[in-house]
Amino acid sequence: MSAATTTDKTDYRTVGTGWANAWKIAAGVGALGLAGAGAGFAADAQRFSFSYLFAFFVFLTISIGATFFVLLQHLTNAGWSVTVRRTAEFFMSALPIFALLFLPIVANLDHLLPWWNGDHGATHAPAAAGEHGDAHAPAGTEGQHGDAAHPAPAHGEHGQHVAGHRMSDEQIEHSLHAEVMASKAWYLSKGFFAVRAVIYFLFWTFLALKLFRNSTLQDSTRDLKLTANSQAMAPAATFGLALTTTFAVFDWMMSLLPNWYSTIFGVQLFSTTMVAILSVLVLVSYAMRASGVSGNAITTEHFHDLGKLLFGFNVFWAYISFSQFFLIWYASIPEETVFFHLRWSNGPWKTVSLAILFLHFVVPFALLLSRNTKRYGGQKVLAFAAGLLLTMHVVEMYWEVLPNYAAQRGIGPQTAEALAPHWMDLACLLGVGGVYLAAVFYRMSQHPVVPVGDPRFGRSKRFENT
Amino acid sequence: MSVETTTVSVPEGRPALLLAEYETPGACMKAAEKLRDAGFTKFDTHTPFPVHGMDAAMGMGDSKLGWIVLVMGITGLMTGIALITYTNGIDYPIIVGGKPAISIPAYVPVCFELTILLSAFGAVFGMFGLNQLPRHHHPVFESDRFKAATDDKFFVSVEYADPKFDADRTPELIASTHPNHIEIIEDTES
Repeated sequence: MSAATTTDKTDYRTVGTGWANAWKIAAGVGALGLAGAGAGFAADAQRFSFSYLFAFFVFLTISIGATFFVLLQHLTNAGWSVTVRRTAEFFMSALPIFALLFLPIVANLDHLLPWWNGDHGATHAPAAAGEHGDAHAPAGTEGQHGDAAHPAPAHGEHGQHVAGHRMSDEQIEHSLHAEVMASKAWYLSKGFFAVRAVIYFLFWTFLALKLFRNSTLQDSTRDLKLTANSQAMAPAATFGLALTTTFAVFDWMMSLLPNWYSTIFGVQLFSTTMVAILSVLVLVSYAMRASGVSGNAITTEHFHDLGKLLFGFNVFWAYISFSQFFLIWYASIPEETVFFHLRWSNGPWKTVSLAILFLHFVVPFALLLSRNTKRYGGQKVLAFAAGLLLTMHVVEMYWEVLPNYAAQRGIGPQTAEALAPHWMDLACLLGVGGVYLAAVFYRMSQHPVVPVGDPRFGRSKRFENT
Repeated sequence: MSVETTTVSVPEGRPALLLAEYETPGACMKAAEKLRDAGFTKFDTHTPFPVHGMDAAMGMGDSKLGWIVLVMGITGLMTGIALITYTNGIDYPIIVGGKPAISIPAYVPVCFELTILLSAFGAVFGMFGLNQLPRHHHPVFESDRFKAATDDKFFVSVEYADPKFDADRTPELIASTHPNHIEIIEDTES
């Protein structure tokens, strides 16, 4: 690049701007974070494992969301999104690095997964059984009446296995627990777990690098076959990504509480990935426009559409999250309620749950509902909502992972110690985030920030919603 | 420059609409801008496909439809809350699955569905209302040339009822925008 072209805004390269050096800052922060996390690991390996898993999921979901976003554009032959697609491709392109970032988790699986060493997570049972009934305490006397009546069918079913004996509540809980765990033993086994993890990372690496190469190669070659190739692989790749994402969160997040299951869990995490990446796209596009690096390629029309998608997917997130809660709440079966027992009992995590309800759904819903907030006022309201949603994404991942730490240590969800933020949470967040963003921003420094070779690039710049 | 002007008559009719035909979307948009700048409000453009920027050229503000949908949505939400509170909490309280009679999670599906239903009604019927639909007749359909509006010609129609309309000067204004043709269309009511 000669000096003459780098000053030309239509060049769309980050050379000579702050963006070109962002990866160095991210790498520095990442190194400091990882150093801190390493010290934390030496001090308290179990606490480190949970902090690290939380940080890992915060950024893995963004990267997977980016891949979904890119696939979605190829699936639908979308012309409008061409100028913002490259930003998603940068966040997608660093997906392979999570294979490396997964290694500290591999080293700590015995701390994270109660089933890993054959201990089938029995530590949950006393905590859950001991406080059973309190989960519905706010319901008043009628609720307690219902609770007392509820366990009766469970007694009946499991009484058959021990003819002649009356079992205590704890024994019932335990026998039920063992039965559920036995039925899952084929899936929750070390060998199969390892094979699955390898498959996920191989598939993700292939997908991210292939789609990224197709797009960046086109910058110089202008070859239409590259677009055709991405579009041809999109349908099968979407199925593949949906399946790998679903089973990855089953393996690495749901099996933290191995006796619990929710068939909607994968969909719930998928909705989370979309909200996360759309928030990131709004914020990065906003910053790129402010710094002028994207020239006139990203317009009000693109912000309007990103805002509509962010609104839509956040409503979808709320719908799916509530669906998971609602069925478990209505059925009130102990092995299902244990998840919300840890998060919805009167205790510190209930405050977090309510914060998620209001700040991840109610407030962003109100902010993003109007067309005006997505088009006018320089999209300040849209950017604020995206920032809020990204913050709440971090909180949601914390809410998914950390209650299991308290549960595994036998700390009841109604005690104040159940929610105990640790400096290692921040160290891991900076460490994983720094490494991931360094990879993202490095890619950004190497390629134009919009796909200048895409056949629909000109159309995307002129695109209008009306 | 003179433009050929014809009159489309109907029995007992009087002039209701000035219809100008253009060859290109650009010429049509320029005419719309001129009418907008002259302060006209009761005029419309008819094109075979959506023309980007036409809303601004016609001086149209944002649609009011969003506000109608919002009011209807909130009405649906309130209806849902009232329905569940009355039926489950007051008229026939009954314990199901150990849940209290008035139990917030149980409200959500009903409130959600009623919000969606009334919002959709608001969107569809509000759109009908704002477009003054259903309408069985419009004077513009008296013109044979107007059939090309769905093919390859672009039209601007100005109502005589517009407060700015002047029987002499408005046809001159239209003629200055270089239409192919101008028609004065009569109607029995206006």
